[in-house]
Amino acid sequence: MTSQIRLEDVHLHYLSSAFKDRSLKSFLARRLALNSVPEVRDVHALKGITLDIAAGERVGLLGANGAGKTTFLRMIAGLYPISGGRRIVTGNIRSLLELSLGFEPDATGRQNILYRGLLLGMNPKFMRSIEEEVAAFADLGEFIDYPLKTYSAGMQVRLAFAVSTAVGADLLLLDEVIGAGDASFMAKAKRRMAEMISSAKILLLASHDPGALRSLCNRGLVFRGGSIAFDGPIEAAVASYQAMGKASR
Amino acid sequence: MDDAVEYARGIWSTRYFWAHLAISDLRSRWRGSVMGLLWSILQPLGMTLLVAVVLGKIFNQPIYSYAPYILSGILVWEFVTSTLIGGSLAFVQADAYIRQCRHPLAIYTLRTALTNLLVLMLASLGLVLWVLVAFPGNLGLCWLALLTLYPVVGLAGWAGATVLAYIGVRFRDIPHALGLVLQTLWFVSPIYFDASVFRSSGLVALVDYNPIYHVVQLARAPLLEGMWPTPANYIYALGLVLVLATAACVAGWRSERKVIFYL
Repeated sequence: MTSQIRLEDVHLHYLSSAFKDRSLKSFLARRLALNSVPEVRDVHALKGITLDIAAGERVGLLGANGAGKTTFLRMIAGLYPISGGRRIVTGNIRSLLELSLGFEPDATGRQNILYRGLLLGMNPKFMRSIEEEVAAFADLGEFIDYPLKTYSAGMQVRLAFAVSTAVGADLLLLDEVIGAGDASFMAKAKRRMAEMISSAKILLLASHDPGALRSLCNRGLVFRGGSIAFDGPIEAAVASYQAMGKASR
Repeated sequence: MDDAVEYARGIWSTRYFWAHLAISDLRSRWRGSVMGLLWSILQPLGMTLLVAVVLGKIFNQPIYSYAPYILSGILVWEFVTSTLIGGSLAFVQADAYIRQCRHPLAIYTLRTALTNLLVLMLASLGLVLWVLVAFPGNLGLCWLALLTLYPVVGLAGWAGATVLAYIGVRFRDIPHALGLVLQTLWFVSPIYFDASVFRSSGLVALVDYNPIYHVVQLARAPLLEGMWPTPANYIYALGLVLVLATAACVAGWRSERKVIFYL
């Protein structure tokens, strides 16, 4: 199966009912103040996005905070439902978003390696076969047999990174280049990342680092206010994004 | 229809994940305790003794036969409350998983139901042993009916938990309100009180039309009366499963994709 991403006029709305204040107190306040409280509407986070990404492309996502990069990645990953248009994504997806979340605090590091592997769709037999390798990569020493709740934030990210990158995928979705742990781990993580990126058929990387984008990507999408303001070669995309920043300043 | 098959396939293909999480929940329940899983048997037994002594005096029931009746009620009711209350929080607690991977949401309530079902099975051992010693005459082929209790309560609990999880993710009041609702249900059902107490007080409907009564009968009829459960017991029990399962499917069909916005 060839991997590809095809989007036709995709829209996405965040439901206002999810973040509106629904308490009895605010209901009464609205009634009594006769609607002087500003109305909260659905957020139109992605507006009419149409594009094709074929196997072999390395796509960098640029844009200011809140421009829609992360929402775009989550939509591609199938986590967010679209409110209009068509979304066709083929190939298995590995997304490294919110990496440090999703551990069982009472279970040991080793057990959590297993659980996270299963979360990512692997089977127990396979996970046991790579357990040692993952533990070695995370390099947590004896802590690997301690409950997760004894871990520091950095150790959790190391473990999560080690499991999540142990197996490659067709579509790799990254939000910022991962900054996990100390210098020696970073060097190892970068090498692992590079391997994963080179084996992935499609890479989508959201980042604010022009250097990383230039070295890893060949195509760039610039987001502005939920739409794509520029789509083209990465060099031109970086230039366009920087020009956009200067113009608004 | 294709969607439903696809959904069921999604639950099956993630079986290792939810099964391991359920077992992990059991482990963490007993972690750090000396008696460990024995507590699942001992705790309802202790509660039973207490209730049997007090209620036995109040209602003038022979404690010897009344106690196993109460124990069977406690076991099933414990399953119901912990599955429903746990279920109403299932999506909220699984938010980190839901934000990272797109798996069928029903697996998170399945985890809750499965954990509690395993506890119920374990705790049933205490009841079975008690009855074997106290009323060996009840032993017969009809005891096989006890095995039908588990799929019935498991499915009903899973479906009920799923419905509540969908409501609970939007309205965080649910766990609080649920406590009240469950207490009411407990009060009007023959769980601790003998069904005959209800009947003799003219509250026949609270027994005959109460699915909770019929579900508990799946354990009580064979163990305590040495008889097969009646067809009516099964009709009400399966009817309950059907109603709850339908509600769960409707809730999922309407709201599954939106849940992530509410986390």
